[in-house]
Amino acid sequence: MARKGFTFDPEDEEYFGDVGSFGVPKFDIEMRGGIPRGFTVIGIVETGAGAELFAKQFSSPAEEPENTLYVSTAESGNEILRVFSKYGWPDDINVRTIGEEYNDRVLEKELQASRYRLQGFDMKDIQTLAQTRFVEEEADDFLTELTNEIMTLKPYFRAVVDNMDFFFQRDDHSRVVSMLRMMQAHTQMMRGLLLMTVSADTVSKAMESEITMIADMVLKFEVFMVGTEFETRMVVKKFRNAPENLAVVTYRVTPEEGITPETVQRIA
Amino acid sequence: MQGPSYTRDRCITGVHGLDEILRGGIPYGSTVLAAGTCGSGKTTLGMEFLVHGAATGEACAHFTATEPSVKLLENIRQYPFFDMNMVDSGLINVFDMDVLYSWLGLEKATFDLDDVHALIKSITDIVNTIGVTRLVIDSVTTLCYKIKSEQLIRDFLFTLGKKLATLGCTTILISEITSATENAHWSSFGVEEAICDGIIVMGDVERMGHLLRFLQVVKMRGTSHSRAKYTLELTPLGVMLTPMLKWGTTVDKIQGWGG
Repeated sequence: MARKGFTFDPEDEEYFGDVGSFGVPKFDIEMRGGIPRGFTVIGIVETGAGAELFAKQFSSPAEEPENTLYVSTAESGNEILRVFSKYGWPDDINVRTIGEEYNDRVLEKELQASRYRLQGFDMKDIQTLAQTRFVEEEADDFLTELTNEIMTLKPYFRAVVDNMDFFFQRDDHSRVVSMLRMMQAHTQMMRGLLLMTVSADTVSKAMESEITMIADMVLKFEVFMVGTEFETRMVVKKFRNAPENLAVVTYRVTPEEGITPETVQRIA
Repeated sequence: MQGPSYTRDRCITGVHGLDEILRGGIPYGSTVLAAGTCGSGKTTLGMEFLVHGAATGEACAHFTATEPSVKLLENIRQYPFFDMNMVDSGLINVFDMDVLYSWLGLEKATFDLDDVHALIKSITDIVNTIGVTRLVIDSVTTLCYKIKSEQLIRDFLFTLGKKLATLGCTTILISEITSATENAHWSSFGVEEAICDGIIVMGDVERMGHLLRFLQVVKMRGTSHSRAKYTLELTPLGVMLTPMLKWGTTVDKIQGWGG
């Protein structure tokens, strides 16, 4: 089916199908086949609920590794690849570690500036300063970079951003929401699959409502105590045009499958 | 009984006519405000002051905030008095304020107290480490635009001037003003003129249908000086000052200053 300004290759349509995998086979079954192509999924996560692992697992089907992007704002490239290797997931996808870039491009510069302010310049610094004619124009607008990167992904892409707290903490919230809308529109147009996580309590309730309005699917990852043990569960709070899929899924992490659903309780 | 006469050592500017006006030059360690309108020759005057110092082996520094150093050097090297070797050999050290801001993490719209202190420390560090005896900041107006409080501007200029004087550095702070008429301020923020040791005003005056540049030393602590207005010409050899003849037409009185 042709969409506004974009025509899909019939062979691709047949290959990719109408739905894609969550990366968790049992969850695909519970969600009646998987996630509809073009969906933007927002994961609202609590610390310790295993959402980082779910994010990686979501990218693991990697139908086209070169068209699969995993963006992390907290982990290093090596850490991410170690997890992929541990579970035998494809490690030839595109990984971008904005947290590391932020350390290199912003924090190191800030540290150097603090050193200059505290200790002053030595002769070598002064000579370099006197010979430096231009300020290195390094754009540190990671939000725009992220949006641009998502917007350049081709049809049937798969992308994960873990997590959006980084942007909400540094940028104007309305700007983050605007960019989120653009990414959602691109995902829809390209029949991509996009998962973005955001920590519970990072944004206000009003902002959370706005984000969940934009998203096609909302997953809430919770962790709580049952007796003396922790239990993790995922609440499917929104599933656009398929409210019958709303459910509470308890899960655990196994060395073989990663996130593994155990029980499912339907809401609708 | 007459006490012993004392004269402060002078920093010879090398600007044709200016040392005569100042009876020998700027007293060493002074901070002088060179306030002028757009195109009045402030930058050339400042650079000539440095060139003269460099020619006698003094270490000089120029902080440029109004235009990139590349552009400044390209413009100034057209003057035969300027020798690019002085920059290459490190006698005249030209610093871009934008680069300095970047190094100090000051790429922001406004400076707070800590930022101002960081800036003072950096400038005095540079002066102290290289042994700078002549310094030009072009312009202090652009720099002070980032300092929002008048009190902070006052502190900045006062502390900077004091520290530079202690280091034996004679400084010209270039100030941009919109008008050099008699009712005008000689500084953009109104505090520079009170803190500096000297004020040199530069501007334009219309005379017989011609727009002439003029220079006038309004204030200079530590020396007697002429307060007359001088015609300023930008020649290939640099700034040239000649006494301005008195005039009395109505037009001159309205548009001129101190006529």
